Amino acid sequence: MREGLFIAFSLFTIAAASGVVLSKNPVYSAFSLILSFFGLSGLYLLWGSTFMAMIQILIYTGAIVVLFVFVVMLLNLQVIRENSPNLLFVGVVSATVWFFSLIILRVLTRAIPTNVTEIPTNQLRTISKLLFTRYLWPFEVLSLFLLVMIVAIFAITRAQEISHGGEKV
Amino acid sequence: MEWTDLIVIAVKTAIIYLGMVQVVPIMLIVERRGAAFIQDRPGPNRVGPFGLFQPIADVIKMMMKEVISPRQVNKALYLLGPFLVLLPASLIVAALPFGDFFTLFDKSYMIQIANLDVGILYVLAIGSLGIYGILFGGWASNNKFSLIGAMRATSQIISYEIPLGLAACGAVLSYGSFSLREMVMAQEGTLLGALPHWGIFYQPLGFLLFFIAAFAETNRLPFDLPETEAELVAGFHTEYGPMDFGTFFMAEYMNMATMSALMVSIYFGGWHLPWISDATLLEGLGSRNLLALLQVLTVIVKISFFMLVFVWVRWTIPRFRFDQLMRLAWKNLIPLGLINLVITALIFYFKGAI
Repeated sequence: MREGLFIAFSLFTIAAASGVVLSKNPVYSAFSLILSFFGLSGLYLLWGSTFMAMIQILIYTGAIVVLFVFVVMLLNLQVIRENSPNLLFVGVVSATVWFFSLIILRVLTRAIPTNVTEIPTNQLRTISKLLFTRYLWPFEVLSLFLLVMIVAIFAITRAQEISHGGEKV
Repeated sequence: MEWTDLIVIAVKTAIIYLGMVQVVPIMLIVERRGAAFIQDRPGPNRVGPFGLFQPIADVIKMMMKEVISPRQVNKALYLLGPFLVLLPASLIVAALPFGDFFTLFDKSYMIQIANLDVGILYVLAIGSLGIYGILFGGWASNNKFSLIGAMRATSQIISYEIPLGLAACGAVLSYGSFSLREMVMAQEGTLLGALPHWGIFYQPLGFLLFFIAAFAETNRLPFDLPETEAELVAGFHTEYGPMDFGTFFMAEYMNMATMSALMVSIYFGGWHLPWISDATLLEGLGSRNLLALLQVLTVIVKISFFMLVFVWVRWTIPRFRFDQLMRLAWKNLIPLGLINLVITALIFYFKGAI
């Protein structure tokens, strides 16, 4: 049962993820991305991590992809896609490099547990405890990083506004 | 788990879901008569006694009309649109608590489809998916008005999800739990001898934020910018035919019902009557199932009250302008939500959860 569901969710996720890359229409790509996130969230549920599953849907599917779709629809990317150079070679090379570096990393560190046997009963407590004790500094640095990005975005959009002669973009 | 359990659970699920769907025809007549009452005119009163069969007539009309889909649409996403709106609205019903439990064949069953330990996260996560229907439907219509409506819906719902989530965070902090069931359980009895022990007295600001954001999330007036008939014809559902439009409509009412049920569960004591604890009630009634019935009725009455408020507000407050809408969310509601969160965190850090 568990293995069957695992295979089903994995295949679904992979199929949807391929759909993201292969479909010609960017809106269909975004739709496939949503489906693949659902597959991923199903996998989290299968591992007993309900919190991660819900956060996956809430943050990625519910907010981030919405903005992707928003931009895709607003910009009408069809035109850009027709005029862009063929990036197949670059894509294949970077995917290969990424894949092998992941394997090397896996061999070098052995940090990732292969089988999850013990699921903490109160996941949220466990996650938050780790987040605010052992991983406090990475957590704070990440939030600072996000803040810097927000400020940067403001700076960039304001610069555009000035170059358009004060007209709001 | 035996097969009787399976049957009871299946029947329970069907009853809860179908009961929730009944909101749609009821609201159809309540909204029209409510509008008429507020505008001092009779309203639909011809079909059946007091016009009560009007929803049936409306639905028959929608079903009998010719189904037209414009030639320029993107067929697949155009057809998918209404269902992508209705599906999340229906899925949320699974996490809502309608009562404690009833007994059947010497076994007790919860009056809730699924008691999730991440209930409120589930509700927020699934609730945030409703925009995809509007977004894809509006884009696939291949019409400027639809697209603008969809864009407005997206930016509005994304923006108001933040105060909604912040208000929910405050509630989670004060109850010390993500489970909607545990939240309702914590709201039994009296507070300070005089008030009902309800979440609103712990989170008054949180409730206000949640309440305002709920209107924006359900695309209701004063925040129905995605479908402003004066500027955008009908917004994202301009190109939709009879029953497709009906599906959008159904989803809107389902969303209102689930939002009302959420407010009831988080801030207004869920199935608990004010002041009276369940143990006293059980003593008075003498039967578990009678108590369960009373609890379900309590929830229905509370949800109905909020549905009436939705109608009342719709015909009382004029529509916002879009920049005002955005300013309200980002410059007023989100800072208030953060302040509420910090204060709640401080209080409950020193005092402990409810």
